[in-house]
Amino acid sequence: MDLQNIAKSLEGLQTVDTIAKRLGISRRTAINLIWILRKKGLVETGYGKRKIRLYRIRAIKKPDIGFKGLYDIINENSKVKVFAKEQHRIHGHKLTIEEAIIRAIEEEDFRTILTALGLFNKIKDWSRLLKFAKKEKLTRKVGALYDVARTAIKVKRIDKRIRKALLKGTVGDKYIVKKIRSADFKDIEKEWNVFIPFNKADLGVYKE
Amino acid sequence: MINITDQNELFKLIGTKLDEKASCLAIGGSAMMFYGAKTETKDVDLVFLDKKSFNLVKKALYEIGFDERKNIKPIFAHYDIAKDKPIMMEGMDTRFDLFLNEVIGFRISSSIIDRIKEVHEFGNLIVKIISPEDIILLKCATEREKDRDDAASLIEKFNIEWGVIIKESMHQTEIGGDIFPVFLFDFLYELKESFKAKIPKEIIEKIMKIGEKIMIEKIKSGKHIAVKKF
Repeated sequence: MDLQNIAKSLEGLQTVDTIAKRLGISRRTAINLIWILRKKGLVETGYGKRKIRLYRIRAIKKPDIGFKGLYDIINENSKVKVFAKEQHRIHGHKLTIEEAIIRAIEEEDFRTILTALGLFNKIKDWSRLLKFAKKEKLTRKVGALYDVARTAIKVKRIDKRIRKALLKGTVGDKYIVKKIRSADFKDIEKEWNVFIPFNKADLGVYKE
Repeated sequence: MINITDQNELFKLIGTKLDEKASCLAIGGSAMMFYGAKTETKDVDLVFLDKKSFNLVKKALYEIGFDERKNIKPIFAHYDIAKDKPIMMEGMDTRFDLFLNEVIGFRISSSIIDRIKEVHEFGNLIVKIISPEDIILLKCATEREKDRDDAASLIEKFNIEWGVIIKESMHQTEIGGDIFPVFLFDFLYELKESFKAKIPKEIIEKIMKIGEKIMIEKIKSGKHIAVKKF
């Protein structure tokens, strides 16, 4: 079987073991094969739980277009990973950490927002975060999620002026994730006037 | 003909012209270019799921120098009575075919949306790329030679999930009324015989049986069999 057909037969997500099993080869040979396929631009590596390597194998080399999307940014910068159903690419500008946080909130998806909490530790420009939050009218949600993140992760301290500005934002829809609110973080909910979707146990993933 | 770089430049231009977000699905050759399965395409085919996005992109294209082609009858003759008529915008040696909800009788179902593999963001323009299986299905609704070439190329390059294709063709019959499995059989049989595409024999047989069954059911029920293949 040539390399093209091997890649075609392995298309999708694989681990070293699944490749070895499917092709009836040893683990060592499977690792060598991944190396060859990567050289041809047919493999992307990701990590699953317990740092298990996951290989996304393609049958043909894809044109490298656009910049990394939301899920790539989260998976690169957050301790907790998110599985993206589809590949997301941005054209025209690079997605910053600050913009990624806002986009994650806009998704209104529990897992996406939970994994995006890890991005608060990587913020470089608080005023940029404020600018995006104001633009999308998400200032209070951003502030509340920052406070939630602080309870579980070591996060850089927010600039006091930025915090004040975030608090000045209008209250629109109180739900961060539609129709989900927890019994925890009542003090944060009270301060920011939004409903936190997570309970303390949800944030345990950051402590594992 | 337009390549992926030029196409993406145009998408960026449209994205900057749009005042608000508009999303669409890239199908056909345009989608194939995103997968790296084709280097250039004759036209850019986009399907919209809401009239607002459709009109916004039409307006944006107009603003960057594209004009609507008035006489589209020879190409989209069967849309004469359709509610959601497609439009063709021409300019810069490129043609954009904009569809709304359906492409030649093939409706964009929720399962097609679920199978979307890639999302590309060009400012306010969000382009979602349908799966290779759905590209093949959409190609089966036409009679053009180049569509057969494209489908054969996809079958050669990708590990096609035939179960998905069969299921969607049956679903299209349920929601659209057309006898899609019959078209699909005809299409795949030709691909296998004339283009030597590697399609499992049992798949062809399975589709043939499904097609026959649907035809018999339709005839027995006395219902009109809609044939919209162009």
